[in-house]
Amino acid sequence: MAMLFGFGQSAEVQIRLKNEDDRKMVKARGEDGNMHDHFLYYDGESVTGTVHVNLKKANQRFEHQGIRIEFIGQIEVYYDRGNQQDFILITRELARPGELTQNAQFPFEFNNVEKPYESYTGTNVKLRYFLRVTVIRRLTDITKELDLVVHALSSYPDNDNSIKMEVGIEDCLHIEFEYNKNKYHLHDVIVGKIYFLLVRIKIKYMEIAILKTEVVGSGPNTFKESETVAKFEIMDGAPVRGESIPIRLFLAGYELAPSMRDVGKKFSVKYFLNLVLVDEEDRRYFKQQEVTLWRKADREPNRIGDGETPEDLNVISGTQKFQTPAVSVVEHPKPESPRNDLKSGSSSPEENSDTS
Amino acid sequence: MYEHPGNTTEQEKNLDNSIRIVKAESFEMKRCLDKGKTMDALKHALQMLNEMRTAELSPKFYYRLYMDSMHELQCLEVSLVQDFSSEPAKLVNLYECVQYASSIIPRLYLLVTIGGVFIKCGLGSRKEILKDLVEMCRGVQHPLRGLFLRNYLMQCTRSVLPDFPETEEMLDVHNSNLPKGATKLKPRDGTVEDTIEFVLINFAEMNKLWVRMQHQGPSKEREKREKDRLELRILVGTNLVRLAQLEALTEDMYVKDVLPSILEQIVSCRDPISQEYLMECVIQVFADDFHLATLNEFLAACAQLQTEVNIKILLIALVDRLALYTTSSIEGGAPTKMKLFEIFSEQATSLIKSRPEMPVDDIVALHVSLVSLAVKCYPDRLDYANLTFQGLRQVIEEKAITEIEAFGKVGRELTKLLNIPVDEYKNVLRLSELPEFIKVMRFFDYRGQCNISAYMIQNMLEEETILRTQENVDAAFELISPLLKDQENQPENSHDTEEFIDEQNLVARLLHLIRADNVDAQFLLLNGVRKVLGEGGRYRLRFTLPPIVFELYRLVLQFAEMKEEDEKWDAKIRKMFVCAMGTIGALVSSAELAELPLKLYLNGAITADRVPFEDNHTVVYEFVSKAMSIMEDDVSDSRDRVRCLQLTVGTLLKTTHLPHENWEPLAIQTVLAAGKMFKKPDQVRSLVTAAALYWHGQTLNTDGQKMRNGKKVVEILKRSAKIAKECLEPIVQQQLFIMLISAYTYYYEDKCPEINVDHIEELISLTQDNSVQLDVSAEADSLEKQLGEAIRRLQLAKLDVAAAQQTSPPEPDLPQPPNENEGL
Repeated sequence: MAMLFGFGQSAEVQIRLKNEDDRKMVKARGEDGNMHDHFLYYDGESVTGTVHVNLKKANQRFEHQGIRIEFIGQIEVYYDRGNQQDFILITRELARPGELTQNAQFPFEFNNVEKPYESYTGTNVKLRYFLRVTVIRRLTDITKELDLVVHALSSYPDNDNSIKMEVGIEDCLHIEFEYNKNKYHLHDVIVGKIYFLLVRIKIKYMEIAILKTEVVGSGPNTFKESETVAKFEIMDGAPVRGESIPIRLFLAGYELAPSMRDVGKKFSVKYFLNLVLVDEEDRRYFKQQEVTLWRKADREPNRIGDGETPEDLNVISGTQKFQTPAVSVVEHPKPESPRNDLKSGSSSPEENSDTS
Repeated sequence: MYEHPGNTTEQEKNLDNSIRIVKAESFEMKRCLDKGKTMDALKHALQMLNEMRTAELSPKFYYRLYMDSMHELQCLEVSLVQDFSSEPAKLVNLYECVQYASSIIPRLYLLVTIGGVFIKCGLGSRKEILKDLVEMCRGVQHPLRGLFLRNYLMQCTRSVLPDFPETEEMLDVHNSNLPKGATKLKPRDGTVEDTIEFVLINFAEMNKLWVRMQHQGPSKEREKREKDRLELRILVGTNLVRLAQLEALTEDMYVKDVLPSILEQIVSCRDPISQEYLMECVIQVFADDFHLATLNEFLAACAQLQTEVNIKILLIALVDRLALYTTSSIEGGAPTKMKLFEIFSEQATSLIKSRPEMPVDDIVALHVSLVSLAVKCYPDRLDYANLTFQGLRQVIEEKAITEIEAFGKVGRELTKLLNIPVDEYKNVLRLSELPEFIKVMRFFDYRGQCNISAYMIQNMLEEETILRTQENVDAAFELISPLLKDQENQPENSHDTEEFIDEQNLVARLLHLIRADNVDAQFLLLNGVRKVLGEGGRYRLRFTLPPIVFELYRLVLQFAEMKEEDEKWDAKIRKMFVCAMGTIGALVSSAELAELPLKLYLNGAITADRVPFEDNHTVVYEFVSKAMSIMEDDVSDSRDRVRCLQLTVGTLLKTTHLPHENWEPLAIQTVLAAGKMFKKPDQVRSLVTAAALYWHGQTLNTDGQKMRNGKKVVEILKRSAKIAKECLEPIVQQQLFIMLISAYTYYYEDKCPEINVDHIEELISLTQDNSVQLDVSAEADSLEKQLGEAIRRLQLAKLDVAAAQQTSPPEPDLPQPPNENEGL
């Protein structure tokens, strides 16, 4: 009873991770919409540290029914808050029931713990990792949580297939576009070009948008949210037949996460490159193309002797891969490629979100 | 072009708004730069550049906005280069950063700027950066905005384009030849070939944009669009200028890469405005050697241009340029080595063939250049010039054109064409070696032919082209034949025109250029010329024959001093006079003139009188008598007769070699003619004049003294006084009296013993009586004064005579013979 009125002994719990000073911090958007710093972990990395239980009043006993720490990976769907899914839950017993007479530290270790997914905060869903310490007491447990951010690294071979496609509207507009890959890491550069085969409309400008689509749930309970992450004008004015317009879009500057497919059977995050042509009557012609985004391990430090001149460093990352149109036109005539019709008009639901 | 053109006021307003934003943002940008906040500065720069996206401004206004923005971007560039050239590593990610801008126009302007900064700071590969920039600019397909963006690209990179060495191999050679420790050039800095590629790409893209302007917007605004385009052409041309400025650009590169690429672009764009401007650009900006080396290629491209292109201007520009070059180059070897003329000639011919719709004036203008080239660069190759005239003749014949109007479009070009060899050779006689010249000249209408003939004569006069031989004379006369006799195509009233008179005067002047080496030959020439001119018809004779007569007289005087050198001297001189007489006779009979031949006869008489050939007095007599018979028969106007009589008297007073028996009939006839004047006052005046003959005349028999026949003088004066009294008009009579008083006084002063002073005073009192009766008038006043003078003079004369006649008064107004210059 004494505790109820603040007379009883109480304790403050802190989770200190190992090598906190050296560990990389990343910003992540919290539920409040603001950015917070979090420690960064990768899949398979051990999570170790110490739990500090500091007594608030000296020389007074602190009773507890046991202390434990859990490592939790959890998917939380906002419209169904009660139904959280822990896809990982590992518990470590730190202390058996007993009592503390002074501040105590409890080291913990989750060895090579599996973190299969990337942390994610979306519109309708959140995937988070956190440590939770619970000091079990008779009336109210004391708990302390610490969010961790997990980056899921992937790797794809460099000789990724490019996206090439000829699209058009009969007797009105035929274009061939090419993106150099269909999988881009988050600091990658999208390099490509648009080749105009037939132009009978007065185009005002052309832009590329990166659309993010989050799909949560399944069946009738599917929630789909699209948002435009980036909008990038790549052409001003009306081209004529034979013109080839370069595309170079650096991804690093945008707030992007890796593509996610059916994570925990709960949700997916997809990215699309949306090529939009706008004519002088403000009609929009567009073609969406899904691309996969993935997280690449940070660049390894330059080895000594690798590249004698420092200014070579990725200064113009896109350039080397960019081919002059004349060459590429000859290189891949694609008669066999299926002709896809561009969608036209702004009535498309995808486009509505574009204008928002 | 611009989507919402708006009127000028609206444009001004839009421009002002934009410029205000540019100013504000650039101000913030510079503040950030000062504080070292590069990223913030770039953000303001982007804001500023957003204005360049406008579609509201016409080219003229957009240009002003561009200039302002450029200025600010230059500040940015200078500042970045200054701050970071020592530690360029800090800039490394800028090239990427600026590419996040989502609007393409500001993004590319900034990218170009940063690219420039990178190159200047030695960051990255210059070659790669240039290539990247020129490629990325493809994103702007809007003609106006694209042209300015690419122009900015050229401006920004102008000073950093690699201009050495020509090839990678040369770079190796260059590097291996450097002293130890010197900085070697890196291959990635690029070579001039990279620059060429860079500029050529930019050029081609700009041209495409420029051409595209033509095809955008409603067709009713075509004229306006063309005007807009012309204002923008310099932007496109700058690329060519930059290429031409490359020091490492060799002839070989120009021949193999540069020109073919430029021509390909020009030909394939199929836009007349572009083609015409750019071809002219090529001609103007590249070196003469280059042009010489690529003549065939260039001309072949000309043949492929659109029909609307004014090829003439291009060819002419090229020909003129090369003509200037080859004439000014010291060696002069080029024209002979290069078959410059043949190439041009051939190309021009095939061009004309391939373009049947080409206007004739353009065809002629083309030949103007060709002739100019032939004449100026190959002064010795008359066949070239002739060939050109021949070519033109054939074209004109094919088109069946004749009677080209002198001042029409074609005529003006034709005049230019024909004037070239005249001006250049400075010797019209050489034109006779161009048989085709005359044939081309014949295509002119009458006026045109006359003009060019007159031009040739003027040239001969200026250059003093002497006609020495019969061949010379024939050649010259052939060329100016339209002026020498009536032409089939001559308009009826052409004789009345000022031009006709001017031209015939020129012909007359030309005749004085006939100068054979000796007197005999000269006489033959003049005689021959006389015959030719004789066919010119009455309107020309009056201009053309007098010079012949004067030339003959001149020849006589020249020959006069050569008596000792020629046995047949007398006979030849006589022959010359006969010839002159015949010539003058033609003036009377054919030209139906009177006073002019009369003067010429009198002149001849004086000339004959001066030359002491055998029986020269017969010639003098003949000439004076002929003159007098003209006066009798052909001079009807009384005033003219008075004048003619005065001339005759003057001539007779000048002659000294007539025997008395020849002199007297002439004198008598003269006095008779004087007395036969139609009006009484004229009789009086003429008689007073004629009286001088008996006082001052000289004959062979007076031994070099004057005649002093006072009796005859007084007789004539009395007669005239009598006639004067018969005059009824008081004023006229008064005039005559005063004149008579003066005449009497004169002879009295000159000691004529037969003069009776009483007689004079009687006349004076009569005059004074008369004067009282005169109505008051200015004339009467003046006569009163004159009378007073006459009286005073008589008083003085009386004193003089009384004072032993020591002095003699000055001669009165004796009639003078016509002098040589007065003949015309």
